[in-house]
Amino acid sequence: MDTYDTTDSNEHPWLGRLIVVGLFLLAQGIAVMLVAFVALLVSLEPGWSATTEQASLLQPGDAKSGTLLLKEDRAYTEAIRLGIDVDITVSGPTLRARVTQIFRNPTKDWAEATYVYPLPAGGAVDSLKMVVGNRVIVGDIKERQQARVIYEEARGAGQKAALTEQERPNIFTNSVANIGPGETVLVQIEYQEPVHQSGNEYSLRLPLVVGPRYNPAPIVQSVDFRNDGSGWGATNSDPVPDRDRISPPVLDPARNAPVNPTSITIRLNAGFALGEVKSPHHNVKVESPDNTTRIVTLADGAVPADRDFELTWKPAAAKAPSVGLFRERVGDTDYLLAFVTPPAAEQATQKPRPREVIFVIDNSGSMGGTSIVQAKASLTYALSRLQPTDRFNVIRFDDTMDVLFPASVAADAERVGEATSFVSALQARGGTEMVPAMRAALTDKLGDAGMVRQVVFLTDGAIGNEQQLFETITAMRGRSRVFMVGIGSAPNTYLMTRAAELGRGAFTHIGSVEQIEERMRGLFAKLENPAVTGLSAKFSEAKADVTPTIIPDVYRDEPLVLAAKLDTLAGSVEIKGRVGDRPWSVTLPLQNAAEGKGLSKLWAKRKIDDAEVARTLREMTPEDSDKAILALALDHQIVTRLTSLVAVDKTPSRPEGEPLKLSELPINLPAGWDFAKVFGERQQVPAQLRERHADARSQSATRRPTPAATDTIRLPKTATSAELKMTAGVILILLAMILFVFNRRQSLLTDAA
Amino acid sequence: MPRFISPLVLALIGIILFGDGAYIHAKAWLAQVLLERAFDKSVATGEVVRPWSWADTWPVARIEVRRIGASAIVLEGASGQALAFGPGHIRQTADAGERGVAVYAAHRDTHFRFLRNVAIGDLIDVTRSDGKHFRFRADSSAVVRFDASGIDPAIRAAELVLATCWPFDAVVSGPERYILHATLIGTDE
Repeated sequence: MDTYDTTDSNEHPWLGRLIVVGLFLLAQGIAVMLVAFVALLVSLEPGWSATTEQASLLQPGDAKSGTLLLKEDRAYTEAIRLGIDVDITVSGPTLRARVTQIFRNPTKDWAEATYVYPLPAGGAVDSLKMVVGNRVIVGDIKERQQARVIYEEARGAGQKAALTEQERPNIFTNSVANIGPGETVLVQIEYQEPVHQSGNEYSLRLPLVVGPRYNPAPIVQSVDFRNDGSGWGATNSDPVPDRDRISPPVLDPARNAPVNPTSITIRLNAGFALGEVKSPHHNVKVESPDNTTRIVTLADGAVPADRDFELTWKPAAAKAPSVGLFRERVGDTDYLLAFVTPPAAEQATQKPRPREVIFVIDNSGSMGGTSIVQAKASLTYALSRLQPTDRFNVIRFDDTMDVLFPASVAADAERVGEATSFVSALQARGGTEMVPAMRAALTDKLGDAGMVRQVVFLTDGAIGNEQQLFETITAMRGRSRVFMVGIGSAPNTYLMTRAAELGRGAFTHIGSVEQIEERMRGLFAKLENPAVTGLSAKFSEAKADVTPTIIPDVYRDEPLVLAAKLDTLAGSVEIKGRVGDRPWSVTLPLQNAAEGKGLSKLWAKRKIDDAEVARTLREMTPEDSDKAILALALDHQIVTRLTSLVAVDKTPSRPEGEPLKLSELPINLPAGWDFAKVFGERQQVPAQLRERHADARSQSATRRPTPAATDTIRLPKTATSAELKMTAGVILILLAMILFVFNRRQSLLTDAA
Repeated sequence: MPRFISPLVLALIGIILFGDGAYIHAKAWLAQVLLERAFDKSVATGEVVRPWSWADTWPVARIEVRRIGASAIVLEGASGQALAFGPGHIRQTADAGERGVAVYAAHRDTHFRFLRNVAIGDLIDVTRSDGKHFRFRADSSAVVRFDASGIDPAIRAAELVLATCWPFDAVVSGPERYILHATLIGTDE
C-alpha cells in the first residue's frame, strides 16, 4: 500500500497540489455560502418562510401600529357620521323609546352604512321609519331572508332603503343603502319595554354600545348522535356562526375622539308621586312639571355612545305600591300586565338554611380597567358576608381557569382570608372562555341536599357564544341556582337575564364602584332569604294565555311580572305561592286595571322569549319554536331572530353606474375598558381574537357586493424554502464527502511521508 | 482526527437543511391525507371537522383538475400555518360558488405545483364541505404583484381564482404571483 501511494504521489506531484488548491477554494466558497445562508435565514425569515399572511384590511386590533392608524384616521375623518337621539316616554309600568339615528354622508361617494347597536334585551322593536328630505317611509315587518332580499334589490336599483335586523335579542344592525354625497338620512326605530322594578326602586336601562365580544374559535367539542341509533351524528360547529355580524370596528379611545354623539330625553310619568330620580352614570338635568312627572335630559348635551344610560326613580312614599295591574285593548282582545311584589318572609320565623355558594369571577381582558376593580370589590364584599355555617368556593377564568379549593370548604376566617387574597391578586387579561367555568361551577361535588346551592357569577358577559352558555346551564343546573352580576359600563344584559332565568336565579348590575355595596346588599338579600316558590296564576272567568307559562320563583324585593292575553276582561286573577314554608295568595279584580300602553307588544315579546327558552330547554323542537316565534312576530310586528323591518323609498336616487361604497360605522370602546387588554395583547389573546378580526371582514364579498375599503385582494406568500433548503443540504453533504475523501487521502499521504 | 470534524459538521448541517426542506414536503403530503379524511367526514355530517385536534383551521373544499389528475383539500384561511398543510381560502373572499370571487392560494412547490400544468379551458371541480359541487372553467391567467392583484371581491358573478408564487422555478420568494382565473359554469348539489 505504502509503496503504491508513494509511487502515485511521486508520479503526479502536481495532482496533489491542484487538489489542495481546488479544495481550499471550495472550502472558502462554502464558508462564504454558509455565512450568506445564515444571514439570509436570519434577516429574511419573516419574508421567505412564506408564512406571513399579508395584512389585508384595516382591522381594529391592528390600530396599534402607526401605519395602519393613519388609514384608520383617514377612514374616520372621511366616513359616514352618525348621531343618535333617544326619546323615551315612561308611562307607568312600560316605556316607549324612539331611537333616531342620523346618518350623514360628508363624502363625495354614494354610500351604504351599517351600524351595530344595542337595545334592551326585553325591548320589542316594532317600528322603523326612514326620513329622506321631507319624505317619511314606514318600514314593514318581513321574514328575515325576505327583508334582506327586498333591501338588496332596492340597493341594487339605486333606491334608498333601511333594514333593521336582530343579531341577538340585545344587538341589532341597521343598514342604510344609497346615501347620496352630502346627504343625510334619518332612521328611526321604536321599541316597547317594561320598566324594571326591584324593591322600592324602579329603573330603566338604555344600552348605548355593544362591548367587543370574545368569540371562541370553532372547536369540535362534542358529537350529537342521532336518536335512531344509526350511529350517525353531527359534531358541534362554530360556537359563534355570526361572529362577523356582531363585531363592528372599535376605535381606540387613546387615538380617536369619541364618535356617535347621543342625546337623550326621558319623559317620566311614573303614575305615582315621585321621590328621588337619578342617573348613576350620566350627569342629568331633571325638570319637575308636577309631582308625578319628570323630564330628564343630559346635563352636558350630547355624550359619546360609550356606556349604558341608567335612570332610577323611587316613589315619594316610603314604600312602593306592591301591586300594579294594567290593561290594553287591541282589536277585540284584552291584554293584561300585572306586577305583584310578594311579602317578605319574616326573618324570625325562618331559620336560614345553610348555603353552598360558588363565586365565579371573570378576569378576561374585556374586564380590564374599571370593571375588574368593581368585580374584585364586589366579590370581596360578598366573601365578607359569608356565615361560618356556609360553604364556599371561588373560580376565576379568562381563557384559562382556576378553582381555588378542590371542593367547597367551610367559610371560616382562614379560608375566607385565603380567598380574599386570591381575589385581590387577580389581573384582567386573556380571552373569555365562559362555558368551562360555568361547568365547573355547576358541578355539584358535595351533593348535600340539606344545603342551598348558589352560583354567583360576576362578568361583563362580553361573549358571542351566549347560546352555548345557556345550553350548559340547562344541562347541568341540577339543584344549583345561578345569580348573575353584570359588571362594567356596558354589560351584556341579554346574557345576564337569560342565564339567570335558565338558572332559576336573579341578576343585578354593577356599573360603578359606588353601586357595589347597595347592589351586592340587594343580591345578598335574595341569596339569604327564601324565595317565593310554587307560583301559579288562575283567572276566574277569562280564558287567558299567560306568560311566563311556568312562573319562576321570585326572590326578595323582586316583583312577579305576568302578561296575559284575555278573551274577556272580567272576574279576577288569583296568584298563589309559598313564601318560605307558608302559603300565600292574592286576588286581583280585573276591573280595577288601569289603562296601559303597548302591553300587547310586551306580551308577544315575552311569548317569543318563552319560545326561545323552550327551545334551549328542548321542550320545543327548533322547528316548532321557530314557527311560534314567526307567527307572533308577524302578528305583532316585532323584530326577532327570524323577522326584520325593511323600508324602501321607491324613488330611485343613485344614478345607474355610480358606485356605492360601504362603510361599517365604528363604535366606541365601552367606558372604562382597556383597549390594549381587549385587542392589544397578542400573547394572551391568541388566535381567537385575531381570527375574529379577520372574520369581521371575511364575508365582505358575500354579504355586501360593494365594500369601500377593499380595492383588491392581497395575495399571501406562496413559496416555501423547501427546495432551497434541500438543494443547499445536498451541496453541503457532497462537499463534506469530498472533504472527507480529501482529508483521508491527505492523512494517508502524510503517513507515507 | 480533528481534520474529520469539519466534514462531519458540514455533513450534519447539510443533513439538517435537507431534512428541514424534506419535512416541509412531508408535512404537506401527510396533512393532505389527514385532511382528505376530515373533509369526507365534513361532507357526510355537514359540520366543521378539524383534521387533527389542535388544528387552527379546517377543510372547506376539495379542488380537482381531472385532466391532469390533480386534487387538493382547501383549508379555511391563508395563514402560513394553514398554507403548510394545504391550499388556503383567503378569508375576506367569498365561498366558492357564491356571488363574488373565491381566492385559493397555495405554495408553488407543494400543493399548487400542478398549477403550471393547468391550461386555459381546463375544468376545475370544487366540492364544498357542505357537499355542494361546482364546476369552473379556467379562462385566463396573469402574473401580478401580491398587493396589486386586481381581484375585485365585489363582482356579482361567481368566480374562482387560484393563486401561487411566480415564477414557478425560482428559489427564493418574490413579490410576483401567478393567478389563474376561472368562471362558474355549472352546479349540482
